[in-house]
Amino acid sequence: AQQTREELSRNLPASGLSNEEVQSTGRTLLAAPGFAKAKVAVNPAFPDATPVGERTCTACHQLEADHFTHTLHALGLHAANKADASIPVCETCHGPGSQHAQAPLTKGSIIAYTKNGGTPIDVQTQTCLTCHEGGPRDHWLGSIHQRNGLSCSDCHNPMAKFSVEGSLAKSSINDTCAQCHQDVRMQFNRRSHMPLPEGQMSCADCHNPHGSLTAPLLKTNTVNETCYQCHAEKRGPFLFEHPPVRESCLNCHSPHGSNQNTLLVAPIPFLCQQCHTAQRHPDNLHTMQSTGTGSNPDFRVMGRGCLTCHANIHGSNAPSGPKFHE
Amino acid sequence: AGVAAMACSSLAFADSGIGVDLWRGNKLDPTAGTRSETPDENGTTWLKPGQNRSPTGNLYLGPFTPPQPEQYGDWRGYGTLEVGVLMVPTGDQRNALWNRYADWKEGPILGLLDYTLERASDGTYANFRGSRISDDDEYYQATFGRAGAFKVQAFVRDMPNIVSGNAKPVWNGVGSNRLTLPSGLTPGGSTPAQIAAASAAAPERTLSVTREKQGLSYSMFLTPEWTAYANVTDEQRRGARPYGGSFFFPGLGGSMETVKPIDDSTINVNGGFRYAGAAWRMDFSYSGSFYRDANTRYTFESPFVMASPVPGALSAPVYQGQMSTEPDNDYHNLQATLTRKLPSLNGEVSLSAAAGRMQQDDTLIAPIDCRGVFGVGFGDLQLGPQNPLLGDCSQWNTPAALSRRSAKMRIDTSMVDARMVLNPTSQWTLRGNVKYDRQDYRTGDYLLYNPLTGQYGYIAENGSQPSIIPGEGFPVGRFTEVGNMRIRNIPLDIQTVDANLGADWKFDDKNTLGVTFGYNRYEPTHRERSEINDSSVKLTWINRSLDALTLRVNYTYLKQSGDRYDYDPYEEFVSASLPGYTPPAGGTPVITTSAMRKYDMSSFDQNKLDVMATLALRDDMTVSASARLDRKSYDARIGRQDYDTGSATLQWEWQPAATTNLSAFLGYDRSRLKMSNVNDALENGAGTDPSLGGPTYPYDAQWWLRDKQRNYYAGALFDHRIGRVRVDAGWNYTYSRGTDSYRYAGPDALAYPTTVPPGPGSGAFSPMVYRVNSFNLGVTIPIVERVSLRVFDYYERGRVDDWHYLGFDQSRYIGGMLYTDGGPQSYSNNVVGMLVNVKL
Repeated sequence: AQQTREELSRNLPASGLSNEEVQSTGRTLLAAPGFAKAKVAVNPAFPDATPVGERTCTACHQLEADHFTHTLHALGLHAANKADASIPVCETCHGPGSQHAQAPLTKGSIIAYTKNGGTPIDVQTQTCLTCHEGGPRDHWLGSIHQRNGLSCSDCHNPMAKFSVEGSLAKSSINDTCAQCHQDVRMQFNRRSHMPLPEGQMSCADCHNPHGSLTAPLLKTNTVNETCYQCHAEKRGPFLFEHPPVRESCLNCHSPHGSNQNTLLVAPIPFLCQQCHTAQRHPDNLHTMQSTGTGSNPDFRVMGRGCLTCHANIHGSNAPSGPKFHE
Repeated sequence: AGVAAMACSSLAFADSGIGVDLWRGNKLDPTAGTRSETPDENGTTWLKPGQNRSPTGNLYLGPFTPPQPEQYGDWRGYGTLEVGVLMVPTGDQRNALWNRYADWKEGPILGLLDYTLERASDGTYANFRGSRISDDDEYYQATFGRAGAFKVQAFVRDMPNIVSGNAKPVWNGVGSNRLTLPSGLTPGGSTPAQIAAASAAAPERTLSVTREKQGLSYSMFLTPEWTAYANVTDEQRRGARPYGGSFFFPGLGGSMETVKPIDDSTINVNGGFRYAGAAWRMDFSYSGSFYRDANTRYTFESPFVMASPVPGALSAPVYQGQMSTEPDNDYHNLQATLTRKLPSLNGEVSLSAAAGRMQQDDTLIAPIDCRGVFGVGFGDLQLGPQNPLLGDCSQWNTPAALSRRSAKMRIDTSMVDARMVLNPTSQWTLRGNVKYDRQDYRTGDYLLYNPLTGQYGYIAENGSQPSIIPGEGFPVGRFTEVGNMRIRNIPLDIQTVDANLGADWKFDDKNTLGVTFGYNRYEPTHRERSEINDSSVKLTWINRSLDALTLRVNYTYLKQSGDRYDYDPYEEFVSASLPGYTPPAGGTPVITTSAMRKYDMSSFDQNKLDVMATLALRDDMTVSASARLDRKSYDARIGRQDYDTGSATLQWEWQPAATTNLSAFLGYDRSRLKMSNVNDALENGAGTDPSLGGPTYPYDAQWWLRDKQRNYYAGALFDHRIGRVRVDAGWNYTYSRGTDSYRYAGPDALAYPTTVPPGPGSGAFSPMVYRVNSFNLGVTIPIVERVSLRVFDYYERGRVDDWHYLGFDQSRYIGGMLYTDGGPQSYSNNVVGMLVNVKL
């Protein structure tokens, strides 16, 4: 049977951030450096609240504790707490629990990571960043996600193991991003796409959702550098280069998916004819006559189209390749 | 604790800040392991029913049933083993669309082996996870670490990619760097009938490229503030893919689709140190990439006869083609970021700098691979003054014919970024950043000059063009009237300055307004413009007035302009710049019309609107919707004129119980691209007037094209427990329809004008269609404690129409052109699987 609120508040331990059992078996190792300085989070809404310890939390939240126990956060925090009983567990993230234990329905009495928990987004993210700032999150402040009022807990849920890695709120990185970016996720269902629906890569292979030096949150400083991470053969530099290719892969490719072959933005030959109007060379209009079943089958339309001859369109290292023929 | 627990949060191989390989799954389970987990029927908490919502308003998932670890001394272990068989009773199993990035074969599979060992006393853990669908579709990874202290991980992953399921290459040696014609075809001397017969007789085969990757990573806390990490991966690509092969125009020479061998490897490394203290943060990183290709080139034999249309001109019988492969390249990049918190203003200032280098020095292949002569002769094919347009292959098929034996190409990159974010009050956030990027070509020009002959330029299309059209694609002497022959490569230095200034105002605790002004200055070298300027303003509104609703709205207006547009910035790189060049009597032919505006260099106006809403219909139900519009209007009479895209999505999610989930989505997106081009009217190609409406590019030869893409998406997921049996089902639907309609001012705009009446006209290509329907149904039945049986069926049907490949199902030799790939094919496949799941 569950305790009543009054029984619970009367039974609060005077001190101690974890249960006595843990303390009695602890203090055998130094805390891991990643947790050595963990402390009770600051909850500006209730500055007078005091820590109550994990045991008090689990008196009501036993089921949450059962799920939390098998997360990496729990493994690290419990081990740190064994080594140093002043290192909290629940209250490292949720702040001091005394006010919440006495008035659990008071919004914001602990730091809550939910929509209506009463804790401002900024307080939620700042609490996470107390431990997680820097590194991949170095440019969180001012990033598009921060400015659009996202909280860490929109994408992460460390209270249980919902994903094999990353303490994600959904089952995968891609499913997590699709919560808001379903329109982008759908593009990967098109005829040509990166191997994302097949689980072979993730949005976070190209984008850093925590902020970066680029507006689209790319993990590198340019579009091309991002693409070269998996397509190093395109890096060159080639003896003869195609200017829009060196400028940005996105001039010709739609990175999330396309109805054309090889992620092309538009069908060949029209993709090329947006820029090329050479004399005695294909600047004329082809019609269905030029297809394989037309009256004038034309290699500028069929199959690879322009790329049948200009095959090395990403750049050629052949001395006879200024026009990417070789 | 500056970076405490970073190790806990960093993902498998790299992290969200650097590198790739953050996820390893497969089509059987893209979540890489959670599909086989059982939802906990007790839900999340004893205290109340249902699920909490994320701050945006999405329902959190229900947790899985906690594992029941086995205790081994200080260690506890738990995991999942899932083994079984796949059965593919019917279907198009080798279809390229079906097999893209997946390799579902009939036979036994390892669905999942995921086992974790934990030592609670100090937070040490070890994990192994792997899945094997086939030899080409598998991954395994092993991780060992201590939470908050260190982590070391190794992985192996094979990823398939079938690029053609219906290839019919005529050559021997497919996959190698030497393609030779089979008996029955004579290099440079086959009749159309012989080529058609050889193509028809070629067996249909699959062309694929498999990526095999291995990696090792290590990250650790040096102190509570300092961390260090290092990652290295080695990836090999093996296989072959359809590629081009040029021997000039059909009927005169021939055009063909060859097969390129893929045999390369890439080593990627990155490492660095990170510091996060009370006042300062620092990040020092190195990234390197080392690409190696086993081939410098591949050669292929052409079956086509060279036939010059010029009376009296005899064509040299060239037939040996070559295609250079991508050069080996090295890449290095060093980057450092320093960030200082500004407590008094509740903000921070950050400075980042990076320097990189990409370079290659591959040995260059000879300009041509022919034997004997190339070009045209008059009367005979004997070298001598009587045949000035006939070339001696021996003077060109050797590295001695090069102005330099190796590429010696190098690009240095540099970047500096400074940014500041201040929160002077709880209501206001002020933001600003300036970023400078530079890309410098550091090597000298490569001169297309043959010291053996004293000639400039190159031999076009493996010698076929000069062997068909006298003098075209034929190297020129020092004093010449040929003005458009390329004689050197083009360095493409780029400099970019990007600046943004913005503010966000939380005028109450439910609403935030934001504005951002942006400026971008792009300065390319040897392009149509030397300076391009973007100016933009972005408005943001975030509304949480209703407890059940989160609304985010972003609008951006961007205007791009630049300096004078030079339609021909390449004069210094062609033979017209040679000393002693004397233009033809009528002047030097122009290379394009002055009305052309290449879209990456063009001026345009852009309007973008982005709306996202998440609404809680009930405690257990959520609806999310988004709408996006992006309109770009270009200032171009010739070239891209408009490019508009838009999308709308609607998602519904219902979690009525801890073990029941239902969701569905509808989606639509579209794009519309408008462009115009103009045909040149002069048969000899010697027009000297670049103006639109002039004799070279008359108005009557102008044409317009509108490419429309429409995509419709729908899907649904169902996961429910009936008694002890779990039933899951899914449906996914995609329908893409692309149409290309055109109009023209007159028949002169057309490639084949004789078939239409005089005057303007219009028409359209047949729609390009891609439609995929997939269904899956699974039943998971507990057998005994910890053991369950999952039986599932996955059906996928794809339909594709692509006018690029019309007629390819009948023949790959069409109109004097020889093709290898038959193009995308419709398919239908059904997979039945049985998997025994054991909780270890």
